[in-house]
Amino acid sequence: MPDVVASAAAPPEPQFASLRQQSEVASIGIWAFLATEVLFFGGMLLAYAVFRKAYPLGFAEAGRETKIVIGTINTMVLLTSSVTMAGAVYAAEGGRRRLLTLLLILTAALGLAFVGLKGLEYSKEYEEHLVPGIDFAFASPHANAIQLFFFLYFMMTGVHAVHLTIGIIVVLVMAVRAGRGAFSPAYHSPVEVTGLYWHFVDLVWIFLYPLIYLNGRVG
Amino acid sequence: MAREAVRLAAAWGALMVLLGSTLGLSYVQLGSMNIAVALTIATAKALIVVFLFMKLARAVPLTWVFAAAGLFWLLIMFGLAATDYGARLWVIAS
Amino acid sequence: MTAAAELLPGLPSRPIEPESYLSDGFTLRSWLLTHDHKRIAILYFASISAFFFIGGAAATVIRLHLIDPAGSLVSADTYNRLFTMHGVIMVWFFLIPSIPTTLGNFVIPMMIGAHDLAFPRLNLTSWYLFVTGGLLTLYAVLAGGLDTGWTFYTPFSTAYSNGHVVIALLGIFVAGFSSILTGLNFIVTIHRLRAPGMTWYRMPVFLWSLYSTSVILMLATPVLAITLALTAVERLLHVGIFDPALGGDPLLFQHLFWFYSHPAVYIMILPGMGVVSEIIPCFARKPIFGYRFIVWASVSIAVIGFLVWGHHMFVAGESVFSALVFSLLSFAVAVPSAIKVFNWTATLHGGWITFEAPMLYALGFIGLFTTGGLTGLFVATLAFDVHATDTYFVIAHFHYIMVGGMVTAYFAGLHYWWPKITGRLYSEWWAQGAAILIFFGFNLTFFPQFILGYLGMPRRYHAYPPEFQAWNILSSAGASILAVAYVLPIFYLGWSLFRGERAGPNPWGATGLEWQTPSPPPTENFAETPTVRRGPYQYEPEPVPQNA
Repeated sequence: MPDVVASAAAPPEPQFASLRQQSEVASIGIWAFLATEVLFFGGMLLAYAVFRKAYPLGFAEAGRETKIVIGTINTMVLLTSSVTMAGAVYAAEGGRRRLLTLLLILTAALGLAFVGLKGLEYSKEYEEHLVPGIDFAFASPHANAIQLFFFLYFMMTGVHAVHLTIGIIVVLVMAVRAGRGAFSPAYHSPVEVTGLYWHFVDLVWIFLYPLIYLNGRVG
Repeated sequence: MAREAVRLAAAWGALMVLLGSTLGLSYVQLGSMNIAVALTIATAKALIVVFLFMKLARAVPLTWVFAAAGLFWLLIMFGLAATDYGARLWVIAS
Repeated sequence: MTAAAELLPGLPSRPIEPESYLSDGFTLRSWLLTHDHKRIAILYFASISAFFFIGGAAATVIRLHLIDPAGSLVSADTYNRLFTMHGVIMVWFFLIPSIPTTLGNFVIPMMIGAHDLAFPRLNLTSWYLFVTGGLLTLYAVLAGGLDTGWTFYTPFSTAYSNGHVVIALLGIFVAGFSSILTGLNFIVTIHRLRAPGMTWYRMPVFLWSLYSTSVILMLATPVLAITLALTAVERLLHVGIFDPALGGDPLLFQHLFWFYSHPAVYIMILPGMGVVSEIIPCFARKPIFGYRFIVWASVSIAVIGFLVWGHHMFVAGESVFSALVFSLLSFAVAVPSAIKVFNWTATLHGGWITFEAPMLYALGFIGLFTTGGLTGLFVATLAFDVHATDTYFVIAHFHYIMVGGMVTAYFAGLHYWWPKITGRLYSEWWAQGAAILIFFGFNLTFFPQFILGYLGMPRRYHAYPPEFQAWNILSSAGASILAVAYVLPIFYLGWSLFRGERAGPNPWGATGLEWQTPSPPPTENFAETPTVRRGPYQYEPEPVPQNA
């Protein structure tokens, strides 16, 4: 039995003619912002492409040192969090306050699990002297290339983790607001916007995963 | 609501299958095709996220333009940089 | 009694100004926490003006120093820090924000008939990000500066430079996000907040120019951001990404850096072109010639501008094949700019031309931008660039465009919209005098530099062979005139705020929607949203506003 809360949505801001226009503009705005994020990550991807092409053996050897178990579990966690986030948006559209709140909290929890596992992964890599600039050491003729790989690994996953952390905070804020009944079928664009951002962070990881974890696994 | 739940469950299932297959295929000797296969599967996952979760198909056409612009500009960066890296030997130390 | 008189009872009584965005709150809080795009524009104006004079001070010392071939005024190291500071501050804290954040912020909503931008709070956030970035960079400069040049080339900046590189990189990084958010705001606003009847082809060219600028702001700046981040980490940790000894590639830095920095120059010039496209029809009393060509030329410049960055790397070591591709594309990007120059000229032809200050600046723009642009074709030519690169030829080239073009257009727009923004008229006599002085001083400063570059004087050198002294002295003499000319507006514009004649809604008889409001306008811009019934620039036979 849906518990639709008839919350009176605030009037649109003065520059908008209607709440519908305001919601649509918010959606357009976040998509435009996500386009900029593609280029933000793109710079690092170019560096990755350049060095992988230049040092195929070094990058393959480095790829074997990545923690594929943690990486794969993390991928599952993040993909699942996208499902719960998408579910949250459906719940918002349907006015299901409790379901919405629950799914948002679940999404944030999965995000936190990802960050936690990432931290574990980083600490292992630190113990194995794989952190460039901080006592990096690797016995191999390809040591330079391996250091370059790990530099890009830490930069790309680090920047990704920062984005994810921001997302977790925003999702939790949305969860609090949702719990207080701020959203309704007529007004839930903040949830949609949050969802779009969250899915984008997932998209970045979908491409980082094979580039980081799946290289050099043959043989 | 049930319909959406089924749709999401199916999407989750498809994503897990794709994840499993990309993981498995990475251990199979495909030579230079390994990366291409991996990125293709990643693209498939991405399409599920973009069309099912981000609902790009139902958004106003302007968002299509923004999404396409981001990707297209990335291609510009990679493509023109390739005119340099594809035609120059620069590796000094491995 | 109005709110103003109630709050400040001690003030001598004088004619109370009508309610406007300026009288809508007199506290510092009402300015620092404003959502009003017009107030935010003024906040930006104050910030970028300060940076303009700091960057200008560095230029003054540089030109004074270069009077003597032995370079005795400052040490070589100080000289390096001066030109770096000049470049960094002028590029990121004056030129890039200038027209978009001041005139763009003020005029865009009014020109499209809206009450504000799409995201007013984001707009304010942009300003705070800008100020934060600016203060960080200023700190780097005041704490001793950096000597890398504004281009931060590696491995010098990452491995050898002594200076506050990381802090400066951080400051620019933060300011970059200000740019991105401003661009986002403009694009969404222009797409979705136009008044009824304002179709794309009824938009004034200024809006198309700012839209094109915003596309570049959004797509190029993120790459700068990540590049600066990579550079900072490389400097701190020496991981090798740009260091050949560790397998890295210094040219990768240049690819990433110029991927942003070339489109950045179009961020700087497109708004200026937009301003000129508003002023020429108004003061020639004619519709603009070839409207569709001009607007699509703006879009083309924005797109093609992303395809030419390698022309900064012709002698840096990029492949010859790459150099050829970029050279050809660089020739292509000149075409839409040329189309605009032809169309402005055709607009003037047969017009009824008057020479108020905005028009003087706009005409100066056309001449100086064309000169700078044509010399761009010189340096786009591989064979010539091998000799001219890193000489004063390049410096003259980009100063003709940036200063002769962009700064001139900024002044043009400032004078054009000054009555609307302040509700006051400035003294035409002083303004025209300053404009002419600027034109003269500018050419005397920078034309000799073309000759110096052609003769072989390298850039970024604190000392030079004595045979170049005569041209350097001419250039420095010009710079002293330019310095005076740039300071003059502070006086006559400032004076106009207190003693200037009050402006009516439309002192120029222009046709845009922004001129259909009082000067200065009320906070909400329009009491009710106007309906647009005709295209822009209907100046013949009589000026007719767009909502008539």
